[in-house]
Amino acid sequence: MKIFKAFLLAVMAMFALTSCTYNKLVEQDEQVNRAWADVQTQYQRRADLIPNLVNTVKGYAAHESETLEAVIAARARATQITIDPSNVTPEQLAEFQAAQGEVSQALGRLMAVSENYPELKANEQFSELQAQLEGTENRIAESRRLYNEAVQTYNVSVRRFPNNIWAMIFNFEKKSPFAAEAGAQKAPEVQF
Amino acid sequence: MKQLHIKSIHYLLSANGMGRLLSRSLLFAFYLLFSFSFFQTSSCLAATYTVDDLPIPYLSDSTQYVSNPDGILSPIAVDSLNMWLRQMESEHGVQTVLAVVEHIKGGDTYEFCMALGRKYGVGNKRQNSGLIILLSTGDRAYTILTGRGLEGTLPDAICKRIENHQMLPALREGDWDEAMLNTVRALKAYIDGDDSLVGDSDFDDSDAGALTGFIFCMLIGLGLIAFAIWRDERKKSFCPSCHQHKMKKISSYTTKNKRLGIRTHHDTYRCSNCFFTKEMHWDEDLHAGGTGAAAGGALGGSFFGSGGRSFGGSFGGGSFGGGGASGRF
Repeated sequence: MKIFKAFLLAVMAMFALTSCTYNKLVEQDEQVNRAWADVQTQYQRRADLIPNLVNTVKGYAAHESETLEAVIAARARATQITIDPSNVTPEQLAEFQAAQGEVSQALGRLMAVSENYPELKANEQFSELQAQLEGTENRIAESRRLYNEAVQTYNVSVRRFPNNIWAMIFNFEKKSPFAAEAGAQKAPEVQF
Repeated sequence: MKQLHIKSIHYLLSANGMGRLLSRSLLFAFYLLFSFSFFQTSSCLAATYTVDDLPIPYLSDSTQYVSNPDGILSPIAVDSLNMWLRQMESEHGVQTVLAVVEHIKGGDTYEFCMALGRKYGVGNKRQNSGLIILLSTGDRAYTILTGRGLEGTLPDAICKRIENHQMLPALREGDWDEAMLNTVRALKAYIDGDDSLVGDSDFDDSDAGALTGFIFCMLIGLGLIAFAIWRDERKKSFCPSCHQHKMKKISSYTTKNKRLGIRTHHDTYRCSNCFFTKEMHWDEDLHAGGTGAAAGGALGGSFFGSGGRSFGGSFGGGSFGGGGASGRF
C-alpha cells in the first residue's frame, strides 16, 4: 500500500512537472512563430515597395532597364518562397535568405545607379520612397534580431535537462536562427 | 519593556535622533549634487556620447524632454520644445526623447536611437508610442525614430518629408534651434491630427498616484504611531489587581538629575474599580529637544524627499521596430 502511494505520488509529480515544462515549451514555440511572422511581414513590406520604387526610377532613368529588371526578377523569385513557420528547416531558411539577399543586392545596385541622376535625387517622391526602403531594411534587421533571440531562448530550453526529455517525447525540435548574411563577411569593393 | 518602548519613541522624536537622520540625508544630498555636477563637467569635456553616458534629464524631472548636454540649443528653444513635448505626452501619450549633441560614438544616429530606445523603453507600453529625435551636429547626422505604435501616424515617408522641409534648410545654415523647433512643430501637427492616439490617463495619474501613495503611507505611519500610543496608554491603564483597564493617572511629579542629564517622571495611577494604587517611573533625556518641533522637521523632511522623487519621469517600456527616417547634411 505504501509503495503504491509513493508510486502514485511520483506519477502525479511527473505530470505536474511535465505540464509545466510542456506549457513553457509551447509558449516559447509560439514566440518563435510570432517573431517569424514579423520577419515575413517586413520582407513582404519591402516587396510591396519595389513596384512603386521601380516606376519612380523608370521615369528618370529609363535606360537603366537592366538594373530595374534585375530588381523585379529578384523580387519575383523571393516572393515565391514561403515558409511554414512551424517547421523551418535550415535548408529552407538558407534558401529564403539567399532569395531575399538577392533582392537586397539588386536594390543596392538600383540605389547606387540612382546617385547618377540629380533630378531623380531631387524628386520628393523618390526621397520618401528611399526613406521608406531604408526604414523597411531597418525593420527587417530588427525583426531578424528578435527572431534569432526567440529561437535562442527556445533552443536553450529544448536542450536543457530535464526539458530535453519532454521535448523529445512531445517532438519539440531545435529551430534554426538566421545566419549572418553571406555577403556580410566580404569587405566592400571600392572602385574609382 | 515599557521604558524601552517610550525611550525608542522619544529617540525618534528627539532632536538628537532627528539631527542625526537629517545630517545623514544632507550628506547624501551633497554627495548626489557633487557627483552630478562632476558628471556633467566630465561629459562636457568628452562631448562624444555613448548610449550609457548620454544624460536623460527626463528621469529626474518629467518636464524635461530635451537632452542638451553640450548646450547647443538655446535655453529659450529648450523651453519651447519641452512645452510642446509635454503637451504631446499629456494629450496623446507620445513620449519623446530629444537629444542634440556634438558627437556620438560610432556616428550612426539610427543605431544610437535604437539602442537608446531599447535601453530606456521610451513610450508607453499600451500604445507603444515612443519617439526619439537625435541630432549630432559634429557627425552631421540626424534621426527621427518612431515607436511601433507611431509608425501609422508618422510613416517613414512623413518623417523624411519633415526632415527635408523643416530640418534640413535650417541645419544647412547651422541654425540648430530653428531646425529642432520646426521639426517638433511639424511632428506635433501630425500627432495632433491623429485622434486614435489618446493621452495616457495613467500618465496624469502617475503624479497623483505617487501623491496618493505617499498620503497612504503617511496615514499608515500615523496609524501605527497612534496604535503604539493607544497600546501604551492601555497598558498603563491595566490594573494588576482586578485585571481591568480602570487605572487612571491621579498625580505626577518630576525629579531632575543634572549629573546624569535626565528628568524622572513619577506618575501615580489608581484603579477606579478596586482602588489599587501604583507608582510608575520613566526617564526623559534632558538633551532631547522639543518633540513637537522635531516631529515637524521629520514630516517636512519626508514630504520634501518624496516630492522630489515623484517629479522624476519614467519610461513606459515601449518598443521600436526600426521605423522613422535618418539623414545627413
